[in-house]
Amino acid sequence: MSYIVSCVPMAVATVPEAIDKWEVQVRKGCLELAILAVLWSGRLYGLEILRRLEEGSALIVPEGTVYPLLNRLKAEGLLASEWVEGDAGHPRKYYKLTASGRRRAVQMAEFWSSFSASLDGLLAPFRLAPRGKEER
Amino acid sequence: MTEVNVAQKKIEEYLQELRAALRALPAEQVSDIVEELRSHIVEKAAAGGDLAPAAVDSAIADLGRPEDLASLYLTDDLQVRALASRSPLLVLRSLFRWASLSFAGFWVLTSSLVGYFLSGALVCCALLRPIHPRTAGLWMIPNGTDYEISLRLGFGSVPAGGKDVLGWWIVPIGLVLGIGFFFLTALFGLWSIRRLRRTSPIDALRK
Repeated sequence: MSYIVSCVPMAVATVPEAIDKWEVQVRKGCLELAILAVLWSGRLYGLEILRRLEEGSALIVPEGTVYPLLNRLKAEGLLASEWVEGDAGHPRKYYKLTASGRRRAVQMAEFWSSFSASLDGLLAPFRLAPRGKEER
Repeated sequence: MTEVNVAQKKIEEYLQELRAALRALPAEQVSDIVEELRSHIVEKAAAGGDLAPAAVDSAIADLGRPEDLASLYLTDDLQVRALASRSPLLVLRSLFRWASLSFAGFWVLTSSLVGYFLSGALVCCALLRPIHPRTAGLWMIPNGTDYEISLRLGFGSVPAGGKDVLGWWIVPIGLVLGIGFFFLTALFGLWSIRRLRRTSPIDALRK
């Protein structure tokens, strides 16, 4: 699953603003898939989801967007949640994929694979070209 | 007051503001959201042992302002409900909220309002024709060298030199067009929400 989560390029500190904006769009578009992906192997609570996203993929996620998104995925029936009184001393809200969430994850992953493969094909010529020789 | 108390007070203040901003949602859902975020802040801020005020501040700062956070929840909630119910009223409410978040939302709202207004005017005109048989209808009224086309509900007098273009046809035509516009506008709203919902709320937080 990690290839799905790493759909977002590593953040570069000195990207021009246009690229930066584009990256934000790409990240945002992938966030839903990334969340479904990290939940594939079992239930997790919000902070765990955030940490998985960050560790697994350098996917820099604004925390304030993840909780509303989880809430929406739940309202759409893709996730289910339950409160668990754990050993942490405070209850945690765990999320897991529902059957339709699994189906959605598989569909999105399939689309992503074929999409990224064809995009890679387009990128191949100039990614292989030696740097500095590209046309202006 | 001890450090831990100060930290707890900060958390309560933040959650109180969030709760206030979420008051449009059902109470059950609000406490679910608030408790989830409390759990998040506590766990993040207590990572190094006891709750420290500075750690709480940074956990809260990462979540963003309570009103922005609430806005994301409310927009998502309204959109999900609007899409599920297809009720024009919910769609419109959702559009109002969306309009406050983005430019695209503003235009969709404006067009929707124009659509509903036109639909309402056509239906009213058709329904008022039997009550104002001589004045309600689609009129062409001379205005200098030009003509002005006007949908009149029939209050007031017969416009000077005006021509009632449709006559009694305004009743069936007005009703069909009016109801047609209503459904087209409602569909347009649903379509726009479905198309743009994934991008707009998160955009708003990023700005």
